[in-house]
Amino acid sequence: MRVKKLRYSYHMQLDFERPAWEHNFKLRCFPSSDERQKISGEHIKIYPVHFSNSERDSFGNMCIYGTAKQIHSHFSVDVSGIAETDIDGKVIAEPHKAGIFKYETPLTKAGVNIREFHRSLEPRGWTGEFERAVYMMRMLCDDFSYVSGSTGIATTAEEAFTIRRGVCQDYAHILLALCRLERIPCRYVAGMIPGEGATHAWTEIFDAGIWRSLDPTHNRECDDTYIKISSGRDAQDCAINQGVFYGGGKQTQSVHVSVRIL
Amino acid sequence: MKVTEEELCRHSDSVNEQLARYGVKFGIYKGGEFHEQLFPFDVIPRVIGHEEFSYLERGLKQRVTALNEFLRDIYSDRKIIADGVVAEEFIYSGSGYMAQCDGVSPPGGIYSHISGIDLVQGKNGSWYVLEDNLRIPSGASYPMIARELCMRSIPSAFADNLTEDNRNYPELLRRTMDYVNTGGHSVILTPGRFNAAYFEHSYFAERTGARLVTCEDLTVENDRLYFIDYSGKKEQVGAVYRRISDDYLDPVNFNRESLIGVPHIFDIYRKGNVALINAPGNGAADDKGIYYFVPRMVKYYLDEEPILQNAPTYLPFYDGDMRYVLENFDSLVIKDVAEAGGYGVVFGSKLSSKEKEDFKAMLKAEPRRFIAQEVIDFRDIDIYEDGKRVPRKADLRAFVLMSDEPVVWKSGLTRFSRNPDSFIVNSSQGGGFKDTWVMKEES
Amino acid sequence: MSILSFGNSERLFWLGRYSERVYTGIRALSGHSVERKCFDESNPESLYCSLMYAYDNAIVLRDEIGSEAFSYIQMAVYEMNSAKKSPAPMLQLQKVNDNIAAFWGMADDVISDENVRGIIKLGKRIERVDLYARGSAGNDEIRREVTRLTYRIEKTGLHYNPETLSALNELAEGENINRPEVIRMVESLINFPDYAG
Repeated sequence: MRVKKLRYSYHMQLDFERPAWEHNFKLRCFPSSDERQKISGEHIKIYPVHFSNSERDSFGNMCIYGTAKQIHSHFSVDVSGIAETDIDGKVIAEPHKAGIFKYETPLTKAGVNIREFHRSLEPRGWTGEFERAVYMMRMLCDDFSYVSGSTGIATTAEEAFTIRRGVCQDYAHILLALCRLERIPCRYVAGMIPGEGATHAWTEIFDAGIWRSLDPTHNRECDDTYIKISSGRDAQDCAINQGVFYGGGKQTQSVHVSVRIL
Repeated sequence: MKVTEEELCRHSDSVNEQLARYGVKFGIYKGGEFHEQLFPFDVIPRVIGHEEFSYLERGLKQRVTALNEFLRDIYSDRKIIADGVVAEEFIYSGSGYMAQCDGVSPPGGIYSHISGIDLVQGKNGSWYVLEDNLRIPSGASYPMIARELCMRSIPSAFADNLTEDNRNYPELLRRTMDYVNTGGHSVILTPGRFNAAYFEHSYFAERTGARLVTCEDLTVENDRLYFIDYSGKKEQVGAVYRRISDDYLDPVNFNRESLIGVPHIFDIYRKGNVALINAPGNGAADDKGIYYFVPRMVKYYLDEEPILQNAPTYLPFYDGDMRYVLENFDSLVIKDVAEAGGYGVVFGSKLSSKEKEDFKAMLKAEPRRFIAQEVIDFRDIDIYEDGKRVPRKADLRAFVLMSDEPVVWKSGLTRFSRNPDSFIVNSSQGGGFKDTWVMKEES
Repeated sequence: MSILSFGNSERLFWLGRYSERVYTGIRALSGHSVERKCFDESNPESLYCSLMYAYDNAIVLRDEIGSEAFSYIQMAVYEMNSAKKSPAPMLQLQKVNDNIAAFWGMADDVISDENVRGIIKLGKRIERVDLYARGSAGNDEIRREVTRLTYRIEKTGLHYNPETLSALNELAEGENINRPEVIRMVESLINFPDYAG
């Protein structure tokens, strides 16, 4: 067993243009323990909050939901803790339960451009799903550039691919779209990697009963410095914050992530 | 029936007058404006004999039981997929499947509390299921109040006491709500009076004693649902018969633009702290594509032969079926699986040759989007129009209510097309309705 | 006791007020001004519009008041529509009032919840004091209506302003009743909370 220890902290803040109240929220920004990571010393602070409860959603992601009734102009959540990652840990699943990850979603639907790109790929005789996904990732990275600010959270795989630019969410969505054209079960992962800045996103490919991680943004397999927060069919399933409120006006969301290797 | 149909017809106007008096209407949007319309009632009932209805009853119970098992299965173990009985793309790519429901056990293990199964009778007398409605099937209120008013207007028609009384629907509904109630009141959640079926919502509330509420009356606090009364007191709610579609049910979890939903109601439902009637995610089982697989579900889950048959149906998704559909295009009716309410239905024979070619091309490009069915030669039933009896196409929506066991309501909504050339019976497209008389066993 | 929502308590109140407004309005009609006062759909003060407002509230209250009571409001609407088309509308308007009176009687008879009954009646009483104070009713009539209102208000469970109520009673006891002041007070007696947030 090869273990790495990481200290992480996550901060998200919503700033409202005008005061908001009766704010109902659902947060999905809490790494939890699984075969590949053990979380300890977790500390969570949500402000303001009138009451809150927690649950795991259908994809197994930890959620905290609740209501901030009082009038507020800012809403924030802070999460910190220690993650011990184990690169050899195997995330196992039954094949028929991975079926749902084989089909496109609105965000990962392949349009004419992705389909054409997919047709242009060499039909080599890769043996496993993971190898095929790695090959498609390599080819995608040759033809796509990381340009921050070029896309938004609602950008679809096809839209980002058409302009050949995007951020980690777009890399992940396009790779998912490609894999789904071949009916390879694959999912979107939201998480954190060492450094300071935003959250990261990558993918998991279902291969011979095991979920294996691929980071198309860095054109590599994930190593033991990746902390997973959530996974689902696409970014929408991993939404960090879903909320409705009265008042508020325009809202601005800022996120700061810090991960240090201990 | 001792009373003749002629005698009934003489009272047609007085019954319709009574229906108007009690505001038996449905809402419709025309040119962006809301209108209330009377639902045209035809006084000649559809009469179903005791034996025949017993057969339907057995078939309906069996079908709804299998559909409920199917929903339980696809939101938990997915055995039917693992065993290759249902093609998974029809589940996961269907618009009614809700991934958020995976792993949720609804109170009492019931998914489809109220099922509306649409049937038609062929000329040869056989019944066919045309559609399963497991989301928010509506319409039971109309035959229920029509019976009440017919009994008032034409008491002689019921003097022989040979017709099953259908005015027990509220009791059945109440039992269904109470059975899954997790503690507290049962309420009926309506989107508001501008919903097409508002009459039904308010009438059920009156007759079941369950409060009719809108989202403003409900709040979720600390994993419980409460009704707030006018003095500010909170009363716990344990069952919600919601007449709001899944998408609009909870703005936090689903469509955040929804102004008619209750924030967090889905979160506490997931925890088993409130019953939602019907369960979210039921759309995965009443999809027009999934319909094809229902007879297989009956065999798979119950190990029984299906009692009720589907209309002969083809899935162009399968190569063999695609070939059949292309070759027999003219004799088939093609339905878009994403459409409802009588829309997205195309009769192959009614298309021009250009339209046919275009349609076939679309079929080949998107085989998953369509199903094809043989056109059933409906047995027409008579309606009374302008002083005479004329035959019209009609269907029957039977209602199955689930509590400790499935119960088939001994009546149903018979809808007919007022246009002699049309097969479309939907009220939104100008159809009317009849009462359905189920005869008692002759002693 | 059944549970009553904020929204429905307010609707019951307005159902009482609008039904009273139509009823008293029709009784006060004199031959020549019928058309504008009565049937003008674009005039929110018309009796036609008032009846539609009553109907809008009633239709949402079917489960509180029952289909039987509701049906009289529905029939009043049908009669109003036929009055509108009639060359001699007073006869149909009489039927509108027959139905409103039947509605009140039926509501009183079939609604088992005292608060639900009480709120409709309170709406009626408040409306009547308001209408009498605006119209040509005598002081004695106003005095009587204020007394009936006072008796009614306790039986509703609604929040009201007790100081305003005693001030209103004091005012009504006086020799020369200050009518604008009566209107102001009766209108500020009940304040429905803005429950929508």
